[in-house]
Amino acid sequence: MNHKILIIEDEEPARMLLKQYLAGITGLEIAGEYADGFSGLKGIQDHKPDLVFLDVQMPKLNGFEMLELLDEPPEIIFTTAYDQYAIKAFELNAVDYLLKPFPEERLREAVNKAFERLRVKKKTAYTGLREHIDKTGEILSRVVVKTRNEIKVIPADQILYIEAQDDYVMIYTPSGKYLKQKTMKYYEDHLGKDEFVRVHRSYIVRTDQISRLEPYEKNVWLVVLKGGQKIPVSRSGYGLLREVLDI
Amino acid sequence: MYLLAWMLVSGIQAGILVFYIRLEALHAVTDSIVFNTLFFLIALVVWYPVRYIPLSNKNIFFVVLNLLALGILVIVVWMSAGFFIMKTIFSDDEAFMQSLLLSVPYRIISGILLFIVMLMVYYLIVYSRNLKERIQNEAGLKALVKEAELNLLKSQINPHFLFNSLNSVSSLTLHDPAGASEMIIKLSDFLRYSLKYTEKDKNPLKDEMENIRRYLDIEKVRFGEKLQFFIDCDKPSETWFVPNMILQPLFENAVKHGVYESTEPVTIDMKCRIEKGMLGIRITNNFDQDSPGRRGAGIGLKNIRERLRLIYGREDLMHFRKEDGSFTINLFFPIS
Repeated sequence: MNHKILIIEDEEPARMLLKQYLAGITGLEIAGEYADGFSGLKGIQDHKPDLVFLDVQMPKLNGFEMLELLDEPPEIIFTTAYDQYAIKAFELNAVDYLLKPFPEERLREAVNKAFERLRVKKKTAYTGLREHIDKTGEILSRVVVKTRNEIKVIPADQILYIEAQDDYVMIYTPSGKYLKQKTMKYYEDHLGKDEFVRVHRSYIVRTDQISRLEPYEKNVWLVVLKGGQKIPVSRSGYGLLREVLDI
Repeated sequence: MYLLAWMLVSGIQAGILVFYIRLEALHAVTDSIVFNTLFFLIALVVWYPVRYIPLSNKNIFFVVLNLLALGILVIVVWMSAGFFIMKTIFSDDEAFMQSLLLSVPYRIISGILLFIVMLMVYYLIVYSRNLKERIQNEAGLKALVKEAELNLLKSQINPHFLFNSLNSVSSLTLHDPAGASEMIIKLSDFLRYSLKYTEKDKNPLKDEMENIRRYLDIEKVRFGEKLQFFIDCDKPSETWFVPNMILQPLFENAVKHGVYESTEPVTIDMKCRIEKGMLGIRITNNFDQDSPGRRGAGIGLKNIRERLRLIYGREDLMHFRKEDGSFTINLFFPIS
């Protein structure tokens, strides 16, 4: 049986090249090609491919954001001109990371590796995907969430606050709240340090949304947001707040 | 070195005293050792004031006055200390003391000469030190300028643009060799142009636009119909001189924030006209409003504003606005 393959890549010549190289390899069949993260995501859900060639830099959703939204991601071979995402890619257990431009031989190697993984049917553990701590220290400019019927890209500057909810976090924005399977620690590390403060074990607040600090009990404070929401502040959170707000 | 020189001077002086003035060897040697050791010590101390009296034309009177005072002080201290020591050693030798007193004028003259030699040596040392320092500074400055130039080039040629373009070339070689060749030539011409000029140079708009067309043609190979551009510049504006590569980042921005982030076609529209003695350029592009602005946007614009300020000394030559999914920038170039 042939392995089903998808190509998600926004540049036509790059897709042509991949197809040309792949034509020389037996045991695979290209089920579809897509030019952006949104349509790529839909393609994966429709075709349930074994292997995906994924570009990182794409319109709408980039490769990593797209992966985040998949419950059971297929095997992934990244193809990109950016070398700085290699570590992140391997942390996510990608089969390979091809730096453009790459020779045909390099692609064959990557495909063989993928076939080997598929052969032993070692179900790739993508557990790292949602938990992994990005060591590049990259600051998020947006967060991608999936609701029942749509995918939403939330710019970081539209997040009001984030609340811990068991294994998930709830992200509050002016247009609604969204559940996301990530840790508080992840957002604490990957949102701008000046724009967001973790005021409590269970809360991260956008600093420019804070309207005032209110005493609640002895040694306990509440942060009042511009929208009126009241959020508890822990002792260490109070220290951080004083630092950030310069009071 | 310094010590050795003084021992030599002492030896010569002792020799002169013995052979020409016919002094007893003991007297001559003691005399030389005492006076020369004293001058040696004083000279060591004098190094510090000399270092802080720089030789300059601006306040030559001040320098001469200082050095004169220093000289008198040195000689008075030297002579009195010398006589004091000699007197203590040879207090019972009346004849020698007498001859010592007679030698005062000669000693003052020799002291002045010694002082002048010392000053010359010291200022030579100071000068050579300054020279070394200046050479080092200059080398540092040159390195800084080089680095700045390199950064400029780096910011001009985005490596990802380069690698993605090379990937397109790799693809074209397989199914369209003629297209690959054309692309390589465009890429080479683009790089050559980008590397040729330093930040100070100005070029006719026509040359700059030729290079920008090359850039857009290359991007069009990558993105096809997704990238559209219209350039409308009349003859008079084409001969106008503009700072080199100043427009390039604007087109790169339009491609980066427009084409890279959108699934719909993006059109870049450029219009240039001469008005009120200035070249006015307007560049507009549409972009996908749903895609949130990326971090790092705005640095390119800041650089352009800074360059315009440095070159023309004006802050009001660039305006931009973002509205309803379109980005417009207006630039003005005064006559050079």
